Amino acid sequence: MQELGKIHQLIIPFFGHDLTFNLEVILMTWIVIFILIAFGILINLKKNILPGPFQVVGELLIKTFSDLAEESLGEELAKRYSPMICALFMFLLISNWLGILPHLEEPTKDLNTTLGLGLMGTFFIAHFEGIRVKGLKNYLKEYTEPFIPMIPLNIIGELANVVSISFRLFGNIMGGSIIILVVSFLVYSIALPPFLNIFFGLFVGTIQAFVFTMLTTVYISLKVR
Amino acid sequence: MDFDLQSWITIAAFAGGGLCMGLGAIGAAIGEGFTASQASTAISRNPSLSGDILKSMLMGQAIAESASIFALVVAMLLLFSNFSADTWLMVYVLISSGLCMGFGAIGAGVGAGFPAGAACKGLAHQPAAGSRLTTNMLIGSAVCQTPAIFALVTAFILLFTDFTGRPVSPTWAAIIGAGLASGLGAIGAGIGSGLAAESGCEGIARQPEAVSPVTNVMLLGQAVTQTTAIYGLLVSFILIFKIVPATEALAPAMALLGAGICMGLGAIGPGIGEGLTARDAVRWIARKEKAIADITRVMLVGQAVSESTGIYALVVALVLIFVV
Repeated sequence: MQELGKIHQLIIPFFGHDLTFNLEVILMTWIVIFILIAFGILINLKKNILPGPFQVVGELLIKTFSDLAEESLGEELAKRYSPMICALFMFLLISNWLGILPHLEEPTKDLNTTLGLGLMGTFFIAHFEGIRVKGLKNYLKEYTEPFIPMIPLNIIGELANVVSISFRLFGNIMGGSIIILVVSFLVYSIALPPFLNIFFGLFVGTIQAFVFTMLTTVYISLKVR
Repeated sequence: MDFDLQSWITIAAFAGGGLCMGLGAIGAAIGEGFTASQASTAISRNPSLSGDILKSMLMGQAIAESASIFALVVAMLLLFSNFSADTWLMVYVLISSGLCMGFGAIGAGVGAGFPAGAACKGLAHQPAAGSRLTTNMLIGSAVCQTPAIFALVTAFILLFTDFTGRPVSPTWAAIIGAGLASGLGAIGAGIGSGLAAESGCEGIARQPEAVSPVTNVMLLGQAVTQTTAIYGLLVSFILIFKIVPATEALAPAMALLGAGICMGLGAIGPGIGEGLTARDAVRWIARKEKAIADITRVMLVGQAVSESTGIYALVVALVLIFVV
């Protein structure tokens, strides 16, 4: 129980401010990245018309997410962003699944990871594309709808999108890992933990990775239309 | 009678545990009863499938009960752990975490009953779509549990944060406010996302080949419905981790407590309202798949407007915390 809420941090003083690094999260993120790179290499080793097992999974993922991107973003933008969307899903999926292995933790359990990904998709990409596709004038005009006094609320609404998307993922993964830890402690790790890991690690992890990816796509599409 | 600190902590643990399980039992029982009522209707329509429908009902009820089980876990922890602390804040922490998980389990319990009921009914209409229906029901009701999980996160963070050295006044108000913000905030989102999942199951039973657009829009609608519960979680985090200067005056304490209550109550309405929007959007997408782009856009815009009251609550809560 003592490990609950403990974070290994590296604090470096930097011109009067403290830079804080969560070492475990960085390590776990790199593990996820290496798994994904290894997966990519394995797919590309034996490319064949009769696909091997890895190639089938890769093709399935890419097909699903490029279709999804095309449906909501339109053909031109989908070409640009479907690799990002597919990569985002794979990264989140492996991140959320990582916790079921002993001694490893989900990087998404840390708010910094999810907030970073939320800022990337829902904030920077969505607003950049909004300005690029519609032009600065039309983009700014949207903030005055339905009438001008709504400007501050519209701005808060935009920021709330980022907050909601990142807290949703963080809360689910964090909650799942807390439940697994506490219930395992209460039943002395007998019988229940594997089922909890299947439910919160594999099942909820997959759903939340998909929800995050789809919401990012939808927020981008809402800005460009 | 004079009690010392340790007896007050024990009293608070018992009271918190009782409140937690008592409130936490409300939602799941209603949800499970609804599922069983729909299963009875379904069996009367198609008695030859009674075995399958019963199986589906039990599976759905098991998921609907998980919110109550979270409350049971917290209640057990409160009753059987030895809490000892040298600060009076522990008393408030125990009560607040019990309240938080108790209120937080209501919505998810009621909500998860809806998709399970719709799945039973759908099974009677469309036995061939059985496995798709079950998958959709499992996904929908698992997402319904999200607000309850948020309440659980807040309850545990309250229990395991070290409050020693923090001034008793006004931190006590922040602690109670944090519990109420997450707990009350989870009610609406749980019920709302249940409504969205219900029509997802209904839609698949009506139109089994539309399963992927229906599931996608259902997940989207549920995710947006839960936004206000996330605001509740956010306000709770700010209240727990913000260090407030010690003061004996009552006004700053009441501002913190008010922020929690404001966000908690303010999140109930938008949760249910957005759930209603998502419910009918999903229902009509199943019947008219071609209009998916338009219906989704109208759903998202409608939910955003319905959510604006939740955003007002968030703004007022933040003003109460940071400005007043």
